[in-house]
Amino acid sequence: MPQFLVLARDNGERAQKMAAMSPEEMQRIMGKYMAWTQRMRETGHLQGANKLRDGEGRVVRRGEGKLAVTDGPFAESKEVVGGYWLLEAPSYAAALELVKDHPHTELWPNTSLEIRQLHDYTQR
Amino acid sequence: VSAGARQGEPGGPLAGLVGHLFRHAAGEMVAALARLMGPARLDLAEEAVQDALLRALETWPFSGLPDNPRGWLFQVARNRALDRIRHETMSRDALAAEGVVDLARRGDGDPARFGDESLAMMFMCCDPALGRAAHVALTLKLVSGFSVEEIADASLERAPAVAQRLVRAKREIRERRLALEIPLPRELAARLASVLEVIYLLFNEGYAAHGGESLVRADLCDEGIRLARLLAGNPQTDRPAVEALLALMLLQSSRLPARVDALGDLTLLAEQDRRRWDRRLMAEGLRHMERAAAGPEVTPYHLEAAIAACHATARDAASTDWRAILRLYDDLMALKPSPVVALNRAVAVAMAEGAAAGIAVLAAIGDDPALAQYHLLPAVRAGLERRAGRPADAIRHYRRALALRASAPERRFLERQVAELEGELSGTLRR
Repeated sequence: MPQFLVLARDNGERAQKMAAMSPEEMQRIMGKYMAWTQRMRETGHLQGANKLRDGEGRVVRRGEGKLAVTDGPFAESKEVVGGYWLLEAPSYAAALELVKDHPHTELWPNTSLEIRQLHDYTQR
Repeated sequence: VSAGARQGEPGGPLAGLVGHLFRHAAGEMVAALARLMGPARLDLAEEAVQDALLRALETWPFSGLPDNPRGWLFQVARNRALDRIRHETMSRDALAAEGVVDLARRGDGDPARFGDESLAMMFMCCDPALGRAAHVALTLKLVSGFSVEEIADASLERAPAVAQRLVRAKREIRERRLALEIPLPRELAARLASVLEVIYLLFNEGYAAHGGESLVRADLCDEGIRLARLLAGNPQTDRPAVEALLALMLLQSSRLPARVDALGDLTLLAEQDRRRWDRRLMAEGLRHMERAAAGPEVTPYHLEAAIAACHATARDAASTDWRAILRLYDDLMALKPSPVVALNRAVAVAMAEGAAAGIAVLAAIGDDPALAQYHLLPAVRAGLERRAGRPADAIRHYRRALALRASAPERRFLERQVAELEGELSGTLRR
């Protein structure tokens, strides 16, 4: 079965809003995410998920033969990958169907979800 | 990993997220951390708790719910508090000298024991050295886990005013070095009185707004009951007045499902569908009434609970023992007179002795300036005029009520009455 990576892209606006939320609002939002994740798990689509640690990444580049390491990307950046869910689905269309009611983009303006199929090396 | 395995179990993974977990956990954690670090570091405790909740919000959507959500939150909050306190670069000895318990050496937070800390916090928030408005704002913020915006919403104040009030009150707490403890037995009764007043205020604020536009205000009823349950659940603070207030709130809440609007208690109790009353809450309320009767103490809460119990136990509106209710209102007027109690007593007089007697009592209290802007005074009068067979007078008083401040559902009710009466009048004329 093909696998799809669902990347959650966040922005600084979202981080700011979250920090100012009341416990009650946080729980409400949490409930939406958990309900989606649970559905994916119960229907056997969910293969894994992880949060990437915010604010401490490194970016490695090589320019003119020299290795350059910079800190970042940070949550304040326009679009930074905050985490991912790994889904199993028969096709892109099916994966898209699963992600259609994902709460991420509904809850946070100007965020996005990116869906990418993993290459299956057993299929030549 | 175990969280993942648990998700598929019956009962569902969201079972751990029910109710107001975050809100209540926030209050418990702030209290516990402030107890460990000293009330002078309230802000630090609040920040650490906010950090922990934020961390949960960031990670749980991916990791799933941890096995013990409260324990998870408390551990993260404690670690955050530790990090922050280390930033203060105070030596361990200096901290110890300030009475700060060594956070690192404390075991994991045991949520079962959070109750005591929440109670201690409640008493500190309601310390007589702080003003009444500060009591309410502090309790909602630190014990109940409300945000500044939610407090503003609940108290009909503007958010910046609430924020400022909280800053000032916390400074008072630091400067006066208020203790974060359950008062000693000899001080308890007096200190408890101001805690109960705040709970009563919260509940009434929520009760009056029930069915209105704002959900947060309805939450106040639940929160009042939760706080009273905490007090009743601890042998140190379980006094008859606590049991009486808890009984009162439970009995009032049991009628909420059948309440059509905010005027229900005064005018529409008779028309309520009693099958919709919450029997479970009612039974619990009556149990606490019995416990409230232990000892000679009679507080206004006892009397109000007894009145609520009279209504709750009446099989139907017609068999309500209004004479007993009137006697209780007489006692209440003797113990804690207020214009609103006087108004309620007038209704009881009308029910026990007829509309004319009720109108006479109303006329006697009608000049009270405290009631001049109170829409329920003319609204009650209107209802009695209608019962006395004077629809034109009833309309006049309903219109007076409509000219005063009232909630949207109340206005709808009053307008409906006027329309009904006008319909009746024009029908009579045509005949």
